[in-house]
Amino acid sequence: MTLASAGERRASQQARRLSGSRKVGRISYWPFVLPALVVVSAVVVFPWAFTLWMSVSEWKVGEPYHFVGFANYLRLLHDQRFLQSIGRTLLYTVLSVVAPMVIGTLAALLFNEKMPARGLLRGIFVMPMMATPVAIALVWTMMFHPQLGVLNYLLSLIGLDPQDWVFAPDTVIASLVMVETWQWSPLVMLIVLGGLASLPADPYESARIDGANAFQRFWYLTLPMILPFLLVAMTIRMIDALKSFDIIYAITQGGPGTASETTNLYLYSVAFAYAEIGYGSAIAVLFFLLIVVLSLVLLHVRELSGRILGTTK
Amino acid sequence: MSAATRRRMMRFASQLGTLFCAALLVSPALFFFLWMISLSLKLEIDNGAYPPIFIPTHIAWKNYSGVFASNNFFLYFWNSIVVTGTATLLALIVGVPAGYGIARMKASKSAIVIMIARMTPGLSYLIPMFLIFQWLGLLGTLAPQIIIHLVVTVPIVIWVMIGYFETTPLELEEAAMIDGANRWQIFSQVTLPIARPGIVVSLILSVIFSWNNFIFGVVLAGRDTRTLPVAVYNMLSFEQVSWGPLAAAALVVTFPVLVLTIVAQRQIVAGLTAGAVKGG
Amino acid sequence: MTGIWTPTRRQFMATTATGLATAGMGGFGAAAATSSVDWKKFAGTTLEVNLIKSPRGDILQKYQSEFEALTGIKVNSEQIPEQQQRQKAVIELSSGKPSFDVVHLSFHVQKRQFEKGGWLADLTPFIADPALTPGGFWDDFGEAGKAFAKDTNKIGGLPLSVDYWIVYYNKELFEKKGLKYPTTFEELEATAIALTDPKTQTYGFAARGIKNANTPVWTTFMLGHDSYSVDASGKLLTETAAAIEAAKLYQRLLTKASPRGISGYNWMECQSAFLQGRVGMWLDGIGFAPPLEDPEKSRVVGKVGYGVMPKGPKAHASGTFGDGIGVAAASTKQGAGYLYCQWAVSKEMGTRLLQTGSGVPFRNSILNDPQVKAGVTMPGGWVDAIAGSAAVSRLALPVIIPVAEFRDVFGIALTNMISGADPEAELKRATAEFQPILERSEKG
Repeated sequence: MTLASAGERRASQQARRLSGSRKVGRISYWPFVLPALVVVSAVVVFPWAFTLWMSVSEWKVGEPYHFVGFANYLRLLHDQRFLQSIGRTLLYTVLSVVAPMVIGTLAALLFNEKMPARGLLRGIFVMPMMATPVAIALVWTMMFHPQLGVLNYLLSLIGLDPQDWVFAPDTVIASLVMVETWQWSPLVMLIVLGGLASLPADPYESARIDGANAFQRFWYLTLPMILPFLLVAMTIRMIDALKSFDIIYAITQGGPGTASETTNLYLYSVAFAYAEIGYGSAIAVLFFLLIVVLSLVLLHVRELSGRILGTTK
Repeated sequence: MSAATRRRMMRFASQLGTLFCAALLVSPALFFFLWMISLSLKLEIDNGAYPPIFIPTHIAWKNYSGVFASNNFFLYFWNSIVVTGTATLLALIVGVPAGYGIARMKASKSAIVIMIARMTPGLSYLIPMFLIFQWLGLLGTLAPQIIIHLVVTVPIVIWVMIGYFETTPLELEEAAMIDGANRWQIFSQVTLPIARPGIVVSLILSVIFSWNNFIFGVVLAGRDTRTLPVAVYNMLSFEQVSWGPLAAAALVVTFPVLVLTIVAQRQIVAGLTAGAVKGG
Repeated sequence: MTGIWTPTRRQFMATTATGLATAGMGGFGAAAATSSVDWKKFAGTTLEVNLIKSPRGDILQKYQSEFEALTGIKVNSEQIPEQQQRQKAVIELSSGKPSFDVVHLSFHVQKRQFEKGGWLADLTPFIADPALTPGGFWDDFGEAGKAFAKDTNKIGGLPLSVDYWIVYYNKELFEKKGLKYPTTFEELEATAIALTDPKTQTYGFAARGIKNANTPVWTTFMLGHDSYSVDASGKLLTETAAAIEAAKLYQRLLTKASPRGISGYNWMECQSAFLQGRVGMWLDGIGFAPPLEDPEKSRVVGKVGYGVMPKGPKAHASGTFGDGIGVAAASTKQGAGYLYCQWAVSKEMGTRLLQTGSGVPFRNSILNDPQVKAGVTMPGGWVDAIAGSAAVSRLALPVIIPVAEFRDVFGIALTNMISGADPEAELKRATAEFQPILERSEKG
């Protein structure tokens, strides 16, 4: 089987790397890592300690520190706006992971082919990811305008009814996900392109000889081999989607009503608009835990899949 | 018709098909940026028109001259360069060796610690950082923004470099070690030169994400220390619609990054292709 | 319940209820005569000034060099968008070491918060000092302005600009349908519906639908029912019959006569649609007028009517908001800072504000000066709307600390109503949600 041969190759590669690393691994590499560790600790640990400390206080800006224990956390359990924001964040995240993953992977497969002007087209495709989010959000806002926006005009050209886009509660999430997909599919594409470039050529030769069609080659060969890359892309995408702020803030500020108020947006309102630092910190802590837990789940899946692939035979 | 001609035609047709799909794929991005240019060149009255006007009746260059003439534009531009440049340079200095160390130690689990910086909601850094910088008396300077931008740049550099170093061959290093080189010599003379494409990618990505950062500047920047994205958002005036000037300002801010993208897309793809994101 | 409310508040509410009716066009003459102000007293000082990005901020920056020449004070000023400025000012002031000496504030949002924090310097001694203040200065301000600025015996900031909510209307659309400008809420609704024609994408009425920004629209309707949202004792009146009626009117207008997607509209979207001639009536602040008369931005130049808010079933009231400018209590340059504020609200600067349509000063000597009026570049209807609104002016937002939360919580309820939720149920829910926030804010 062609798959088995691929697995074999992989396993032997891994073994070689492992044995190599054992020899070199005796040297301590800590001096290389230490400066970065110091920097990261300094910029991460202090704010975190401070946030935890604030989260057990009732600290309204302008008033003295007042220890309240877990009162803020208990209050969160009954805060409808907070609870709803979590559900919304999860929905937003799932959509903003799935859509860019699909489009990004397709784009990578496409741009992996030889074609004229590939560099230019690929460059244009990557532009949304590189453009300044605040700047593009302002332009999207105007394009979404239900009466005067260019999007509804484009719809009318192909005979579709005008939409309310970000101006109605039931379409706002989908519209924002559209922007998010437009912006972040390129990241998925770049990562998957990396995966495609590392694929060995021989399994494809034997598959072709066995008479596998393009779809079969993708499904049985490419997909399993780029799976680790897909999972990396998925992890990054998930973290970013959970934390998404600039785009939502600049386009809807969480509206209409609270229809697009994700946890990060709510956190912003509480901490900055309502100046309730203690309560806001409690939200930050829970929100962070949510991100960590979800990331660990994905990492776990990744290791699991790695093990399965490594032992395919 | 010979088989060869038919094959050539088939290949041509499939190339055409690929090209068509690619064009379809890039059309949203292309349309968006063209529309942005159009907005930036029109008077307000045309920007609100329906059906929309794509090609301006009067070209409103004053949208652009307004951006450059607005007080402090060049100062903000310079601030952006200083903040992004310094934060990226520092990130490379600490991040490249760290990526090397982590990759060689096979300690990809420890990279998770680095990822925590990426997982933390950016907002939760702001108030603690604001208070400590105020206490240190640094608020009127660019230092707070440079330091907080490290939160963005260091993880990117380490992340990209781990993956890169994992794929660079160990044999050369082992040979150098047998020749009696110490690990610092090995790193600087053997590994680093091979890793140049990876460094270029991490540099480009770090520059772009630092350049684009908005929220840190809102709280930490003052009148003289603002960066460009904050300055653009500040053009939103209460009581006055101003899409043209906004689009012009937005384009001016994004322009350097877009040029960098188009120019360096080959390096970005090549660098990432070298296995850059495999690790971590 | 009343115990937690300071006398300041009650006193304030009392003055506003009776006093605002005479605000603006009151009978005080041009008192700011020649003065013995020693402008050079603080020459050589450098001031940091923090302004809200707005036409007011633009004017202050535009003429800043005049102030520098007059006083020898160097001014470093910046304008920041409203929302961020509010948040940044609060963080900086509460940290005790603000980076600015002079700050521009929105009384209707921040008055109580700033007072409770003790963030603004008391300007009373400076106003009393003839070397810094011309005679008759304080008395020249309209009642609304004085009420905004006063905190018991202290004066926390000088009233800079008043904002009345008016109805902008498109005369051409009115003529086409043979309609007259409405004088009551009932007529307002009927006219709005009559003007609406989805086929031509023309709509009778537009107002803010997006949460937070939309709350003043509802409280303005409440004023027509002779009711504030919070009473003088600090009790919430947000689920009363008046509140529900006002919310129902809001719901009817925004669902039957407004453009699609209105629940996502802020002033900007409303203004864009009105500028393109697609909206019959638009309810918002009087300061939004200048772009409407600018041919580079507007398709309705010369066709805009400026209407005073129609009469409600129980009262005729125009929702009123206001800006001020004050000196940070933590500033070490209070004298120089005060001079800047005094200059900012001076007759000269106020005249420029009014004549360019950038704002409406609180000072009677400016508003009553026929020469000033003659120099106004805005249409006469706009000036008449100021006078008409001033006569029926009432504060539209409660003077409480958590104004931001108030606007968010009730704003969400209002947005839900646009999507079809029952006004009474929504207001009950919002009131229950807001009550503890309000109580917490006044504690301690």
